[in-house]
Amino acid sequence: MELLLWLVPWEPSLSVVIVTAVTAMLFVKGCLGCKLFFRQKLFFWTGLLSLYVVSHTQLDYYAEHEFFVHQLKSLVLHHLGPFFIILACPEKALSSGFPIAGKRLLRMVSAWKPVQCLVNVFLHPVAAVIVFVGLIIFWLLPPIHFVAMLDWRIYRLMNWSMAVNGLMFWGLVLDSDSKWSPGSRIAMMLAVVPPQILTGALIFFTPHELYPIYTLCGRAFTGVSSITDQQIGGLILWMNAAMMSVIGILIVIYKELRQPRLILGSTLPTKNST
Amino acid sequence: MHNRLFRARGLVFGRYILTIALMLLLNGCGTEKKWQLHDITGHLPDLRFSMRSDAGQPVTDQTYRGYLVMLFFGYTSCQAECPSTLFRLAKIVQGLGDNAKRARILFVTLDPGRDTPQVLHRYVTAFAAGHAIGLTGSESEIAALAKRYRAAFRPGKSETNDITHSAAVYVFDPQGHARLLVTPDDAIAKAANELRHLLETSR
Repeated sequence: MELLLWLVPWEPSLSVVIVTAVTAMLFVKGCLGCKLFFRQKLFFWTGLLSLYVVSHTQLDYYAEHEFFVHQLKSLVLHHLGPFFIILACPEKALSSGFPIAGKRLLRMVSAWKPVQCLVNVFLHPVAAVIVFVGLIIFWLLPPIHFVAMLDWRIYRLMNWSMAVNGLMFWGLVLDSDSKWSPGSRIAMMLAVVPPQILTGALIFFTPHELYPIYTLCGRAFTGVSSITDQQIGGLILWMNAAMMSVIGILIVIYKELRQPRLILGSTLPTKNST
Repeated sequence: MHNRLFRARGLVFGRYILTIALMLLLNGCGTEKKWQLHDITGHLPDLRFSMRSDAGQPVTDQTYRGYLVMLFFGYTSCQAECPSTLFRLAKIVQGLGDNAKRARILFVTLDPGRDTPQVLHRYVTAFAAGHAIGLTGSESEIAALAKRYRAAFRPGKSETNDITHSAAVYVFDPQGHARLLVTPDDAIAKAANELRHLLETSR
């Protein structure tokens, strides 16, 4: 019973429910049509569920009222969740689960000039790195963070922008059929590390409270002081930056090494499959 | 051909930039006063509640329409923050001078089990008689109000004496719009000045 109460959304959002449900349905439908490895399904569901759990359960209360929990939530929204979804290579399953009319609409939209321009700009390596890092720093700027934690509309914009940008970035760098070379994709992952470490370290080493909004609205855990909270939050950003990029780089290298021996190049080989 | 296309696109892009720049400029002109306190205008919802006052009567936000409302959350057995905030608010109200009669301090208890209307009444009148009102209600009513203003509160924790609560005082103008936050770091004189200005401009 207690556990079920945890699943009650802290801030009910129809858009989160619809997007999660539609994606899940498309994937299930697609899974029936094309054969997927077990690990692909595992990665996909881990990614999708983790995104849902951090944005639509009671966990959100703690993310709103404790800086380090907020940082953990960002880690899932921007890094882990999208990373796992992309790792599953779900494009084939998702698109085969898509209804014909939807596919036609998607083709029409993607053929539209301004959309193409936007995609070209945002999926350019330099722009992708700048947007990825810029978004993290932007939402952590003290005055911006203050308003984002207070105003539920801006709070939702922050969460959505993090998740969508995470999908875009990891989709760009982990895609082995990408038009960008593995070298440039590895360089992208390396390029996002130093700014994140710097931001995390800056938060960690700041001796005064950078984000007073958590004190003003009240902290979820009374035992954690404001500076400790801030330091843990800084550390999370500091460490996860390097961690995620290293894992990503290893995956790209591994995929490239395995490429010639692969029969179907679209799936990720791991040790289990050999 | 390519050149013309490029130039046309450049023109459209230029127009976008111009529009954005104009919007920013207009925005800049629109702000009248830079508040010394945290300005939260437009970021939090209007004052709305239905609870019981320390006199035992049902009260709503309409009861305090026309008053400058200073809302904050606490509990009477709180050792440090709540008494000091109430003390500071009482001083701020004194600092309002003639405007003091148009200001109300609403103290919402987070411990409705122990803070009965009588206890609340005794507590708030000790600080600011005539200006402060204690509010109580069911745990879910209190939780809903705290959530509305993003104040930390988890129901069912009152026995442990480990109630988390917000440090901010939410200031609403006489029309019930959320306008400012008073924090424990704000000087009393500065806050009183700002609130007086808010009262005078929203007459």
